[in-house]
Amino acid sequence: MVSAVYLIVAALAVAFLLGMLKEKWLGAAWGLTLATLAFMSWVSADWLWAFAVNGAAPVDILTAATPPPYAINLRMGLPEAALTLLINVSGLFSALYLKDALFARGRQSMAVLLVAVMALCGIVLTRDIFNLFVFFELAVITTSGLILLSDGEHALAAGFKYLIVSQFMSAMLLLGIVFAYHATGTLNIDGMAAAGLGLKEGGMIAFFLMFIAVVAELKPFPANGWALDIYEAAHPAFAALFSAASGAATLFAADKLLAIGGPDWYPVATGVGLLTFVASNLLALPQTRDRRLLGYSSVAQIGLILAVLGQRDILGAQTYYIAGGILVAHALAKAGLYWLSGLVAERELEAWAALRARPLLVFAFISFVGLLTGLPPFPGFYAKWELMGHLAGAGRYTFMALILFGALVEAGYLFRWFGYLIKREAPEERITTPAHKLIPVLAAVVAGWVLGFLWGRLSGHGNLLLVLPLLFALSFLLLDWLPAWVKNTLAIAGMSAFLYLTYTEYDPLRLIFAVIFLLGGAVTLLASYDAHGRRVGFYPAVMLMYAGMIMLVRATGSFDFFAAWELLTVGSYFLILRGKHSEPHALSYILFSLGGAFMILAGFAVAAQGAPQFELASLKGLAAPLAPLVFLLLALGFMTKTATIGLHIWLPGAHAEAETDVSPMVSGILLKAGLYGLMVLLLSMGKQKLLGIELTHAMLWAGALTALLGNLMAIFQEDAKRLLAYSSIGQMGYALFGLALMNHLGWLMALMFVINHYVYKSMLFLSVGGVAKRTGTREMYRMGGLITLMPLSFIATLIGIIAVSGVPPLSGFGGRWIFYNAILTNDYRLPTVLIFLSGPIAFLYLFRLIHTIFLGQLKDEHRRLKEAPFWIVLPQMIYVAILMVVAVVPGLVLRHVNAYLTQFFPEGALVWEGNQISSSFGYWNPVAIMIVVGVIFVLLLGWLMFINRRAQKVKQFNMVFAAERPFRPETTHFAWNFFAPYRKAMGFLVQPFATRFWGAVTDVLHTSADLVRRLYDGNGQTYAFHFLAFVVVVYVLGTGVL
Amino acid sequence: MDFDWMKIPYAFLTVFIIVNYGLLLNALIAKIAARAGRRRGIPLWQNYIDLIKNYGLRSSITHGVMFYLGPVFRLAGGVGLLLFVPSIYGSEMFSNLSFAGDLILALYFIFFGTLGMALGAAESGHPHAAIGITRGLSQVSMAELPLGLAVFSVALQYHTLSVTDIVAAQQGGMLHWTLFTNPLAVAAAMLSFLGSMMRPPFDVVLAPQEIPIGPPTEYHSSYLALMQTNRAIFPIAKIIIYMNLFFGGALSWPALFLKVFLIYMVSVLVGVVFPRFRVEQSILWFLVWAVPLGVLSIVLV
Repeated sequence: MVSAVYLIVAALAVAFLLGMLKEKWLGAAWGLTLATLAFMSWVSADWLWAFAVNGAAPVDILTAATPPPYAINLRMGLPEAALTLLINVSGLFSALYLKDALFARGRQSMAVLLVAVMALCGIVLTRDIFNLFVFFELAVITTSGLILLSDGEHALAAGFKYLIVSQFMSAMLLLGIVFAYHATGTLNIDGMAAAGLGLKEGGMIAFFLMFIAVVAELKPFPANGWALDIYEAAHPAFAALFSAASGAATLFAADKLLAIGGPDWYPVATGVGLLTFVASNLLALPQTRDRRLLGYSSVAQIGLILAVLGQRDILGAQTYYIAGGILVAHALAKAGLYWLSGLVAERELEAWAALRARPLLVFAFISFVGLLTGLPPFPGFYAKWELMGHLAGAGRYTFMALILFGALVEAGYLFRWFGYLIKREAPEERITTPAHKLIPVLAAVVAGWVLGFLWGRLSGHGNLLLVLPLLFALSFLLLDWLPAWVKNTLAIAGMSAFLYLTYTEYDPLRLIFAVIFLLGGAVTLLASYDAHGRRVGFYPAVMLMYAGMIMLVRATGSFDFFAAWELLTVGSYFLILRGKHSEPHALSYILFSLGGAFMILAGFAVAAQGAPQFELASLKGLAAPLAPLVFLLLALGFMTKTATIGLHIWLPGAHAEAETDVSPMVSGILLKAGLYGLMVLLLSMGKQKLLGIELTHAMLWAGALTALLGNLMAIFQEDAKRLLAYSSIGQMGYALFGLALMNHLGWLMALMFVINHYVYKSMLFLSVGGVAKRTGTREMYRMGGLITLMPLSFIATLIGIIAVSGVPPLSGFGGRWIFYNAILTNDYRLPTVLIFLSGPIAFLYLFRLIHTIFLGQLKDEHRRLKEAPFWIVLPQMIYVAILMVVAVVPGLVLRHVNAYLTQFFPEGALVWEGNQISSSFGYWNPVAIMIVVGVIFVLLLGWLMFINRRAQKVKQFNMVFAAERPFRPETTHFAWNFFAPYRKAMGFLVQPFATRFWGAVTDVLHTSADLVRRLYDGNGQTYAFHFLAFVVVVYVLGTGVL
Repeated sequence: MDFDWMKIPYAFLTVFIIVNYGLLLNALIAKIAARAGRRRGIPLWQNYIDLIKNYGLRSSITHGVMFYLGPVFRLAGGVGLLLFVPSIYGSEMFSNLSFAGDLILALYFIFFGTLGMALGAAESGHPHAAIGITRGLSQVSMAELPLGLAVFSVALQYHTLSVTDIVAAQQGGMLHWTLFTNPLAVAAAMLSFLGSMMRPPFDVVLAPQEIPIGPPTEYHSSYLALMQTNRAIFPIAKIIIYMNLFFGGALSWPALFLKVFLIYMVSVLVGVVFPRFRVEQSILWFLVWAVPLGVLSIVLV
């Protein structure tokens, strides 16, 4: 193996050599620079391989052939190898990317770059504190030099400010070193740690000076105005290097210093890191310029890693796995995003829409966002999981909450940005992607996925990238060049085959969900045959969602469950974002969903109490005081997905604005994931009490209120898909209510709802979607009279609304019947009143749906409309058939579920006698009902047809209208504001309180961020003051002077 | 299936009796209401004449399939409602087709006819029909609530949803009637009753003065005849449910006729005294006056 000292030697030697080359041999100089960086990368990689694979021991390199403290020593161990590799590779790709800038400024600039990379490697390798100072000085000087490579006055000013601030830091570091040397008699870092610097007289001050200098290099809030200016003004490739490589090196230096300071200084590191993480993410929120936003995000991520390093007392051996996971994710993503920003002409976030023309770059962008937000299967995800587990185990709940809050804010601005990229108007100019700029970006993407694989392997939880459903979903990324119908067939076949291969593995409860997710998903996908072309990006997203859902059903441990949850969330987000006007709604969806997911993460972490993971079944064994807390967190997480009132505001827009074939997926199928989670939770944890309140009782109220308000809001919608979306909220309220009843019939009803809601809501969304496709509008009052033109869609809607409303003889009645029997056994009667009230309200919106679209007056512009496309009608007809079958023989599914539930709720099961189904209260015979109703209906119809056999259809306006003849359908079709009197009476209940509340929350966040942002006024003096104030405050708090 | 085929002719007999009783009773009620207004009113057989006339008229008009099916839905709903509930307690002959389901079936089946007729009327394209329907639906959604709560209370009280069992529990003297054992529930249900009988102050749905006759606007001749037949059956069927739930049921046809008449008269008495409410007024009226009674009855039962 090549000695690590060559990392320094090679860079220095070539830097000198470059000086001797001829000025015009630019190509050669550049090639030499690249070769040197490649060599350095290879050296690091070689060492990394030796440590990671062959298990080599760390090696000390002694300079004057004497051991420390008499000489300087460098150390090459696993972390050093990994970090120098990161630094060198960032340097290599930045050099590649900087080609034009380096050529413009000549070979000197290449030498500066080489020395910069060398200095950063030195910071990582050295074990000597004075040597560390030297490398820092080198890094500072070269950094300033590189900043000046960039064009414009801003860069000049930023570089100057940086020089001033860094001189402050250097002075402090040097002073600290002098004192420390005085106290310990050594300059060796390990020697200082062994000598117990902090215990010596003046040792604490000495350490503080060194520590604060290094921490200040990490750009802590608020002493980081200079850094933000650099991020914004410098060349993006340099910003990439500054963010990824400098950040990594300085963090490692801080880690080395913490080894000297010992556990007393951990809380300081944690505090500074956490404050920086939260504040910087908040500050990033109102940013509209890309590089400044990335700057804030960089600062935040480095703060998070510092905070993690400060937790090493509980993280122990896992520290490097966690900090490393966040660090590599941050480094790759930031470098990648900065490199990407060099391809985009304008600095406004909206300008990134230009990338949309290149799907590969979109994929790169979202991979970077995934890396930053810690989504599976990237390293940050595993790190996040471990970190939360350890924090919860140690009871550091505030820390957990702050990290999750910061992460949510971060996800907020990153996904908002992705929304701009996908949805905003793209500039006319096409972006150009020269190879030397494209290669670094793609390398970062590949590295991100490879490291995701690596972190998965090291996680001890099983590698997500080896899970079959996820692999299948990701394979669609490679197949995206195929025509849509081929991919659709593959998707349907894959989902059906997976169900066929695994259906024996599920218990009846899971089987219901597996069938809905896979087979139900496949039926819904039939509608996707209607789409033409390649439909780029659709199939990876949809399959990611379904993969997440089936992984959720198959998960037995908390880790797998949570990973699946995040996957299905992200997949569905991409799907929703595809809608024409869905940008804000998709954002609100992903934010609520991630908020919910973080609750689940926190819940699992608290439940596991420090164990890396635990079986879901062992939730049962949890005892108070943890159990109610876990229950609350998990329940809130799942209830976000089922859009319980208050947490529901994302749903209407997300479901309504989604594409025609996506709405049934996200409504009919996706919502069930939340119900599944609730079922798992309630089955294992049962009733829990928190502060004297029984939590299932609170859920009853939540369910009842959701049912009532969801239904109420549905009746005032003019948009057909929004109406259905609000109706889903109401329906999920019913299901939640049923589950919270915690009795046999309640659960049976909830499961009936799961099945029925899937069938009729998918059917209705498709039907309405088909109509909207033909008419070009979703506003119901613009339609009317479509019954004769679109008879099949009408039939589907008719059957759908009968099923939803629960009118006998169709299948919805079974659900209602079970429901009323269930509530009779309920101890809590008041929430039941709300549920009662919400029942008849459903009729209002259902009638409105069918009347305003299909009945009433046909509009002139619709006279030539055709039935909805075949592939959209086909699944509807399948659903009609299913509903009819379930109506006649509900026992088909019900009986098995009934028997299965008996083991959990032995009391109150239904009894079958022939076709008659009885409970302890009443009875019901679906076959008899169907026959009786059928016979009466046919008899009466026959009679009418006999006496009225010559009836002929008359023209549209042939009606009794006060001796007038109306002629305008628009004024004759009674549709707009259909339930005006109802709004007058009950409208007070549907004030948008929840929307206002969440609006106020985001406003407060934005406003406070905007206020704090004024700290950074661009003035060097102000920045110096910040720095001074920061030093004093940390000193006062950290050393406990007060 | 083990089915007693004799139930079919018996069911026809029930329908026959109720149709005739309903036609006569409706006329009697109309006459009483007219007399209260110092008018003469119609003769008792007037409904027969109207019905025969309308069945006799030949129409050659329809507005479409749903329009055509609307009255069929409506009447099937009325007949079904009647037959799903036993008429005479203790009589196998007049237990009708109640084996098919319990009280929940009956209550939900009410919507079968309502919904079907609403769909049919809506297809006529007449705005008055649609206006009438929105009014009706808005009002009924709140008016039915106290009844629902009362039914819930009664089911809790007797621990059954079977109509026959509920009647059985009230046997043994008037004081065993739900009216006396659970007066709050009955009060709530009777207020709700006012809302569903299409009489003032809750008759804005048909509102003859403003939107000539609401949902049935476009219906005529045999369509209207079917709906008139339903008007003879449906209120009686509904009152029979009230009678069974709250007033001890009926052991014989005369008892049934008397009880149904008296219950019907409650809505008439109120109706001749009060002017009409607008929809939002009636919704709030039910919310403020009837719903709390229902809630109390549930809490206290």
